[in-house]
Amino acid sequence: MDDRASAIATPAADTAHRIKIRVHDLHFHYKEFHALKGISMDIPEKQVTAIIGPSGCGKSTLLRIFNRIYAIYPGMEAKGKILVDGEDILDTRYSMNRLRSKIGMVFQKPVPFPMTIFENVAYGIRHHEKLSKANMANRVEEALHSAALWSEVKDKLKQNALSLSGGQQQRLCIARAIALKPEVLLLDEPTSALDPIATGRIEQLVEELKSQFTIVMVTHNMQQAARCSDQTAFMYLGELIEFEQTEKIFTKPDKKQTEDYITGRFG
Amino acid sequence: MTTSKDHIIKSYDAELSRLTGEIVHMGELSVKQLEAAIDVVERRDERAAQRVVDNDDTIDRMEQEVSHDVVRLLALRAPMAGDLRNVFAALRIAADIERIGDYAANVAKRSIPLSMVAPVRPAAGLEHLARLAATGVRDVLAAYHDRDTERAYAVWKNDTVLDEAYTGYFRQLLTYMMEDPRNITPCTHLLFMAKNIERIGDHATNIAENVWFQATGEPLPAQRKKLDRTASADFSGLSTKSDPP
Repeated sequence: MDDRASAIATPAADTAHRIKIRVHDLHFHYKEFHALKGISMDIPEKQVTAIIGPSGCGKSTLLRIFNRIYAIYPGMEAKGKILVDGEDILDTRYSMNRLRSKIGMVFQKPVPFPMTIFENVAYGIRHHEKLSKANMANRVEEALHSAALWSEVKDKLKQNALSLSGGQQQRLCIARAIALKPEVLLLDEPTSALDPIATGRIEQLVEELKSQFTIVMVTHNMQQAARCSDQTAFMYLGELIEFEQTEKIFTKPDKKQTEDYITGRFG
Repeated sequence: MTTSKDHIIKSYDAELSRLTGEIVHMGELSVKQLEAAIDVVERRDERAAQRVVDNDDTIDRMEQEVSHDVVRLLALRAPMAGDLRNVFAALRIAADIERIGDYAANVAKRSIPLSMVAPVRPAAGLEHLARLAATGVRDVLAAYHDRDTERAYAVWKNDTVLDEAYTGYFRQLLTYMMEDPRNITPCTHLLFMAKNIERIGDHATNIAENVWFQATGEPLPAQRKKLDRTASADFSGLSTKSDPP
């Protein structure tokens, strides 16, 4: 890791794991609006990190900066550093292709492409790699297995993905993201459009996937953050208020603002 | 850290304060039971003693209500942080108060056989112990109600006074029993009653520990020496001269 980066004092909820993403003094502007104000945090590898906070606190913005989605919109600017394995992904020399294959993202609403289940997973792989037909089939199967969807779709891989239920579509999106073998998986409120059973399946999947990926999840559901994550970051008005082990955040947070938010006193 | 700000959902506040109210009410009842038990010892009133024993059911029922409310709050409100500690502490404190009620009832129960034998002088000493215990319970209930950690800590620390008084009373009873074997029956009852009262003090300290935990999220840090020394070697040698070497 970059020497300068390792010298930076950064809030870390977890010191036992290797740091995968180091955010240092990150500022973000939507034109005039200062959306993120000097965020610094260390996200540990192969752990689940949840980001919570009221609407407009900047949690989704932060997540979207991790794979530079903002770059497609004009008037947006990120300053500071986001070091993934020591390399600054905000540096324009860091190629977008490389970034997207390293960091996968799943959104709030499942958005399968209007094509077959198989093609949904194969599409992204083709963009990055040239695989033989047999290898591609293996890779798609592997991704669907990892996303706990294989047993439900193995007999209908040629069917349109839009025929799947909402929960299945979301797992398909996860399969599509992990098919590229990313190292980091970003989940932006991945279950907010799903029923409790489908939510439970995704949460179980998150638990299983963390042995392979570093997962960062934005959620409005505090119980979900408590159930699924190893550490939790609480953000408010563009600032990182507290970043700690999840158990500590939900039993004995240090900051009054965190306590007020998680106990439902934020008015 | 307990915050004074109201919840966005008002009924949640109402449920939490109802829980606090139930605990305080239950605690007050347990102190009244203790005072009533001591009163019947002094008056040698068997009927009144039986009433104290019967009244313990009310405290038991209140504990069940607290348990029910705690389960309901956990299931429906999913409390977090300070709220979670409040609910958890309420459950534990209710269990301590229930035991205090049991001990008070035991004192009343033993007063019945005690009143059937001739009065003995040390019976009067029981009141002093009971007064110390009742003060401790009242203070810790006030500390719980006001979320006052300093007051809770004072109760916790002061239990040594009750422990020492109990040790002294134990010694006094043994002396009476050795002086005249006819004292053995009433003094044995008094010994059990005194032990019950000493245990009430221990439950008051448990409550103090929970008040502390509820407010801070940490266990009460200090260590206090146990001063009920009646189980130690000091009291094994009452007939040391005849003991084998």
